[in-house]
Amino acid sequence: MNSRSLVRVIASREFLARVRSRVFVITTALTVIGIAGYIVLQAYVFNKSTASLDVGFVGTAQSIAAPVRAEAAALGETINVHPYASVAAGKADVQSKVLDALVSGPPTATTVTVNETLDATLRTALNDSVRETVLNDMLTQHGIDPATVDNAIASASVHVVELSPVDAARLQQIVIGLLVALTLYVTMVIYGQLVAAGVIEEKSNRIVEILLATVRPWQLMMGKIVGIGLVALVQVLITAAVAMVVASVTKLVSIPTLGVDVVISGVVWFVLGYLMYALLFAGAGSMVSRQEDVGSVTMPVTLVLVAAWILALTIALPDPESAGTTVLSFIPFFSPVIMPIRIAAHVVPFWEVAISVVLVAGTIFAFAVIAGRIYRNSVLRIGGRVKLGDALGLPKTERGDPTNATM
Amino acid sequence: MPVVSTLAIQKATVTSGTFRNEVRARSGTDARESTTMLQLEGVSKRYGDLEALHELSLSVRDGEIFGFVGANGAGKTTTMRVVLGVLEADAGSVLWNGAEITFALRRRIGYIPEDRGLYPKMTVLAQLDYFGQLHGMRRREARASALALLERLGLADRGASQLQALSHGNQQRVQLAAALVFAPDLLVLDEPFAGLDPVAVDAMSEVLRAQADEGRPVVVSSHQLDIVERLCDRVGIINHGQMVATGTVTELTDRGPLRFWVDVPGAAAGWYDGIPGVTLVEQDGTRWLLELADAASEQSILTKALTIGPVHEFRRDRPALSQLFRDVMSETAIK
Repeated sequence: MNSRSLVRVIASREFLARVRSRVFVITTALTVIGIAGYIVLQAYVFNKSTASLDVGFVGTAQSIAAPVRAEAAALGETINVHPYASVAAGKADVQSKVLDALVSGPPTATTVTVNETLDATLRTALNDSVRETVLNDMLTQHGIDPATVDNAIASASVHVVELSPVDAARLQQIVIGLLVALTLYVTMVIYGQLVAAGVIEEKSNRIVEILLATVRPWQLMMGKIVGIGLVALVQVLITAAVAMVVASVTKLVSIPTLGVDVVISGVVWFVLGYLMYALLFAGAGSMVSRQEDVGSVTMPVTLVLVAAWILALTIALPDPESAGTTVLSFIPFFSPVIMPIRIAAHVVPFWEVAISVVLVAGTIFAFAVIAGRIYRNSVLRIGGRVKLGDALGLPKTERGDPTNATM
Repeated sequence: MPVVSTLAIQKATVTSGTFRNEVRARSGTDARESTTMLQLEGVSKRYGDLEALHELSLSVRDGEIFGFVGANGAGKTTTMRVVLGVLEADAGSVLWNGAEITFALRRRIGYIPEDRGLYPKMTVLAQLDYFGQLHGMRRREARASALALLERLGLADRGASQLQALSHGNQQRVQLAAALVFAPDLLVLDEPFAGLDPVAVDAMSEVLRAQADEGRPVVVSSHQLDIVERLCDRVGIINHGQMVATGTVTELTDRGPLRFWVDVPGAAAGWYDGIPGVTLVEQDGTRWLLELADAASEQSILTKALTIGPVHEFRRDRPALSQLFRDVMSETAIK
């Protein structure tokens, strides 16, 4: 029986045991509900801000109703005009939230009554209309036709030269970069911990000894990493598919903006990043025998991932094009989180991605050797925590004794 | 009829008298019949300052049940782990049919480690399927073998249960099934009787006997010397990492002084005085326990007793394995 089919047998047990578990079904359902709910909520908030406003106009203020509506429409907001006979009646409706605002008084002394705050667009529209009414009155008094002035003003505008034009889809790209990086980060942390816990589980229930009488340590370790990785991939793909469908249905993000390249590169970076970190988590997990120790033994690995995420939030997302982001995206530990942000922002040449993939692949190879060694030397040692030196199989003489150690 | 025995043990060297000669004649045929399947030669293993195994050698023959006894920490588990390759020996070799054992051959060993282990939340059948497949069986083959084994072990109705839902005894049977599911060539079982009730011990013994009869040697370690005495064809006693005695149970119990119980009602004290090399060990009513020096013959005792009166009992006194075990332990401790 060759090694690959042994790894496959082990991986498929890991995969099936987890995918069939209640925990997987529940967490996947919760994630899907959470993501879909978040997107629907975002869409609702987004749509609400563009909803129409009900504005009441009392007496003389009705003269500016038409210009206000036109001005607001030009700014992208719909206003429903409601004439009112008395200020008191209008105020009552504002209070009971039938109206969003009540406009009263002559143009020279216009008052707006609102419940809490005045909508910014409405404020601009009102100010512009009132000023224009006052201006027109003054022009008429001085014998100038307001229409002539309006035409002159309308034809005068500034010509803008954009040296680095901002893509209209830029904000969406940053949001997508954030979502991809967040998904990769969260998945690597959670499933990395699961790998460590899985290794410890086999140690603590002692099955590892029977398994190692049959398979080689690296086969067992790779089987576990691959099996759990497939579970993670299934969960990520389900979540991503639901998110994309819901987002496009609610018109929050259009699928063309999302880009097939971003999705594919996200999956590739997930595979690379997961492999790199899962090896470290597996090696770390093999050094302890009790589930309680999983947190402390994997802490150094988790901290590196958290650092990657913090750097993504503080450096890469605010400016995907900065030199800092570029440098970080080439450091293998950070590439799986930072590079997808650059890819989503469409600011990275292909060759740069290729180089970072090669660097990460090399790191994975090195980690496979180191983690395999730690795992082989530690996984059968039940009891206390295995010292890193012992786990790496360094002979005691080479390590020297603490009194003359140089570290 | 005298019990069949051999004189392979170093200590029982000097022989004379008809009893021992007959024993020697029979022992020759035994050794020729079976061939050695598993052999350890001069295996040593150190954990830091502790020498767990010191040039340990043993051999297990085709179709036999080999009992491995020794105190806690004597090196039984370490020896088994070295055989399975889970642990690497510092020196010495493990041979399989005369050649150095390989990883592929080790995969043909059914193993129950001292620390039991299966997946608690996996069903019994899924678990056995998995072990079958890990040993290279196809899914269907593994399933068929698993079902047959569960039937044989009386667990046919528990296949769909999670392991953790089973009683300790049944979990132990599943553990055995996991070691048997791929039809191994050799069984290595570390303390398979630990924690089992007498009925379960009998059931386990029967299965092991059947395995051995099918030509599959079984190596078991146990503290329960009465079980070992009943079940095993040959026994090895290990102490401080060294094999201090090996042989069949009768061979081992022959190691002690040659003693006979003689029940002669009407015999007076000192009736045996005239027989050379005979001394009294113990008297219990009309029963006398006599010890024979190496040169003495038990036949002369019987002849003498018959001249006194009817002999109701004339029987070789054998120490129980447990007694022998204690003797060996104290002897090697003194060394």
